[in-house]
Amino acid sequence: MPSLQSSEIRYILVQNRQGKTRLSRWYFPCSDEEKNKLLSDFYKLVNVRDPKLANFIEYRTYKIVYRRYAGLFFGMCVDTTDNELAALESIHLFVESLDAYFGNVCELDIVFHFWKCYALMDEMFLTGEIQETSKKIVLKRMSDLDRLN
Amino acid sequence: MSMQVRDLIKAVRGCKTAQKIREVITRESALIRNSFRKEDKINRPRNIYKLIYIHMLGFPSEFGQLECLKLIANPSYIGKRIGYLGLSILVTENQEVLFMSTNIIRNDLSSEDRYVVGLALAALGNIGSPEMLRDLAPEIEKLMESESSYLKKKATLVAIRTIRLVPESVDRFIGKVRTLIGEKNHGVVLTGLQLVLSIVKTEPETIVKFRKLVPGLVRMLKSLVNAGYSSEYDFRGTADPFLQYNILRLLRYLGEGSKKSSKLMADILTQVGTSGGISKNVEIAILYEAVSTILSIESDSKLRVTAINTLSRFLSGRHNNSKYVALNTLLKAVNTEPKSLKRHRKVIVECLKDKDISIRRRALDLVFGIMDKKNVESLTQELLDCLPKAEKEFRYDITAKICTAIEKFSPNDKWQIDTLIKVLTIGGQYIRDDVSSMMTSVIGRNPDLQYYTSKKLFNILLDDRYRNQTFLQVSSWVIGEYGDILMQKSEKDGELINTTQALDLFQILLESSRTTDETKYYILTALIKFSTRIEGYDELIKKIIKPYREHVNVELQQRACEFFLLFDYNEIRDPILDRMPIFVEKEIELEIEEEVSENINKGENNDIQKNTQIIQNQINVNQNIQTVQNTQNTGINELLMLNTETKKTQPQNKQDSLNFLQEIFSGSGSRSNNNNNNMNNNNNNNNNKTGGQGLGLDLGLGLGLGLGMNNQSQRQNQMQTQRQTQQNQMQNQRQTQQNQRQINQNQNQNKNQNQSQNKSQNQNQNQQKVQNQPFVVYEKNGIKIEMNFKVGNIRGTPAVMSIIKTTNISSIPISNYLLQVAVPKTLKAQLSQPSGQTIPPNGNGLVNQQLQIIKLVQQKTQLSILLRVTYVINGQKIVENKEVSNIPIFF
Repeated sequence: MPSLQSSEIRYILVQNRQGKTRLSRWYFPCSDEEKNKLLSDFYKLVNVRDPKLANFIEYRTYKIVYRRYAGLFFGMCVDTTDNELAALESIHLFVESLDAYFGNVCELDIVFHFWKCYALMDEMFLTGEIQETSKKIVLKRMSDLDRLN
Repeated sequence: MSMQVRDLIKAVRGCKTAQKIREVITRESALIRNSFRKEDKINRPRNIYKLIYIHMLGFPSEFGQLECLKLIANPSYIGKRIGYLGLSILVTENQEVLFMSTNIIRNDLSSEDRYVVGLALAALGNIGSPEMLRDLAPEIEKLMESESSYLKKKATLVAIRTIRLVPESVDRFIGKVRTLIGEKNHGVVLTGLQLVLSIVKTEPETIVKFRKLVPGLVRMLKSLVNAGYSSEYDFRGTADPFLQYNILRLLRYLGEGSKKSSKLMADILTQVGTSGGISKNVEIAILYEAVSTILSIESDSKLRVTAINTLSRFLSGRHNNSKYVALNTLLKAVNTEPKSLKRHRKVIVECLKDKDISIRRRALDLVFGIMDKKNVESLTQELLDCLPKAEKEFRYDITAKICTAIEKFSPNDKWQIDTLIKVLTIGGQYIRDDVSSMMTSVIGRNPDLQYYTSKKLFNILLDDRYRNQTFLQVSSWVIGEYGDILMQKSEKDGELINTTQALDLFQILLESSRTTDETKYYILTALIKFSTRIEGYDELIKKIIKPYREHVNVELQQRACEFFLLFDYNEIRDPILDRMPIFVEKEIELEIEEEVSENINKGENNDIQKNTQIIQNQINVNQNIQTVQNTQNTGINELLMLNTETKKTQPQNKQDSLNFLQEIFSGSGSRSNNNNNNMNNNNNNNNNKTGGQGLGLDLGLGLGLGLGMNNQSQRQNQMQTQRQTQQNQMQNQRQTQQNQRQINQNQNQNKNQNQSQNKSQNQNQNQQKVQNQPFVVYEKNGIKIEMNFKVGNIRGTPAVMSIIKTTNISSIPISNYLLQVAVPKTLKAQLSQPSGQTIPPNGNGLVNQQLQIIKLVQQKTQLSILLRVTYVINGQKIVENKEVSNIPIFF
């Protein structure tokens, strides 16, 4: 399978400080072993990092952009040529949307409603690209979907 | 009855150990499996949710994949929603399941319910394989024209995935771009821009076509920038930043290589790239994107300078993220905008002190990037200032950069020495090896600075703060090598340095527990050199060396033993420890690259500098003489290295130097009397000091025979040393007898020499004939080595080029074939790698090698070569030496 070299985002991860993965979306074909390796590497890299340092880590031939929100690390792996600052913004947009959707989101919301989080993620990102950047539209879509349930 | 998803999560969270979790999951998995088997439709959605959770915890979940298919085949929206989610998380590699899902997805893509279509598109976007996307491309294309912007966005993104995985499908989507970008809905425009980006990445030729979009994009950007606030797409006070990033990014692709397009976007880029604050990440991200675009496209110099200035503003800001991206971008601009970059030197240097290693590393690269002859001194000082606080790996990087800076921009040798000394003292252990080699070579070629350097090193050595091993090694080498200069001149200058002090210092260092054995090798060598440089301290030096004859470290022990013995051979001690020849760095580097460098570096911790490699080679040659075992590994490399000595030699008796070459080989050929042979020849040369300089070569006797022998057990080594001592004693007794014999030998040699000189005139006439004619130099066991010679020039130096062809006309294949070449000291030979190591029988193949011989002296020289052929035939190893001195070539 050809690699998704030019994909903006290779994967999006949400992990807590203990290294438990709360959400993960993979935009490139990848085996479970490989995923586990990437997950544990992400934890090792991010967890020990001094919060004052830059939010970017070079990892293999890519770059991990992450930000910590309370006890959760939100991270995405992007191409080295991508705009790291913009990636950071999109993480923030995702977190803000989660926050608005759940109303002051906490880790437990994500644990118990993981499918809703995935749905929200799929409304914002798809195939490694940003799909929608308006929080308002995303939230409206989510409430539409919820009503269908 | 299986539990609710909620309860499962609670149960898992309630577990205190991993073992407990495993139990809960195993039990639940069994129940789920059971329920699947029973085709329990009611619980299916719930089970899939649970499986997704189980999958997230890292437990097996494959058995649920088919159930996901069943769910998506179900007409209900809720079932589909769960099924597609399960599909996109649980199934990523299973091609079969994906294949089976293709038809269901196709149906859903044409569903009337747009939410169902949305689900199918999302699944395609997340897990669509090339086959699926190829199959469904027409449907995707159609959906891109859907009336619903919701579906349009999703379909466009799936199109991007299709282009990535099925590049040939790109044509299908190019035509859609214009309408997408012309939409009012920002989300659609955004995906449209991303589509163009992926098209131009896949198919760069399309850029020319898309340049038509530039005016529209510029207008769009302008309205965004001037809009200020838009309720729907405002994000942290900026109007749709994501759309801005993407427009700027696309402009970069379109502007590159096109002056016309670049000009069209110049105004808006100036506006975006200069205005705007740098307090918020959103703003910085836009500035950063704009600046990157300005630097990539064909902007005028004024705009570029503004871009660099903006980046410099990032550097002086507080945000590490913006520093990081600014340094990254500046690094890209270092070649195109050196002048304006240099203006921001101060902020860049400041980043060297940042907490974040990735920022420091980039700053270091950048500092190096803006370095030139003018600012090298101040910038190197800045780098040196960073050294003490830097962590190990970063120290290594810094010293590496300083070395390169010296190589490229060093204003003078004194500065170079001062800088290197600073690196050695501050950098400590974690510095590049080059530092020491550069140091020794620069001292070697600067007689004026030898006193200065050795004095400086000596004074620093007295201060025990800087006694790191590398520094100790370099300084003991320098002080040992130039001890005489140091002592004589410091006496004249009234400096408080004297030999006793130096020896005391060496003794203290030798006894210190902080000194590693490796460093002690250097100190011992320095001591023995002292004995030849300064008279009257032999006894003291002997006293210091003596205890190390019984040292537990074999190498150290051996050195001590040999050095100690050298005191009994005053005639050879001086030439052995003669001053190192001036070191010509480039040549040796070249040879190391060309020849098998592993030989040199393997196991030898002694490479304090390339200069000492000469010593090593001598040592290796010595090993050659001593042991046949090592002949395979050492060999040609070292032999060639011998000739790299560029020390001015007195015109030499050729026969004598060939004689010397013969020594090397003859010694290695016979093991039994190798030691005697060696000493024998040394004496021989000393007794007939015809070309005394030649001596510097073959000895090395003392300089650490042990190198490369570390693999042997200590005991063996001790025995060997003992044996040597005995042999030497025996030899002493026989010396008179041998001297007699040598005189005879030499008389014979002289005769030979006269004869060959007579011959040479005739040979000179034959020279032209021989050129281009193969010359058989060896023929035995069916092996025939032919050489043809051609006289010419290499970089202005007279040289002989030769192609050596080896064939095998016997019926037995030859393996492990190795040809080694040695030439007199007045010449320098370089042999290329052979084309093979085996030669097939019956003349069915040949080994080719090229030989270059350069002349190092002015005089006309006759070519003479010593060959050593090594090969294995019939399982028998044959080593043979052959002197080729009758080649009628003079150059």
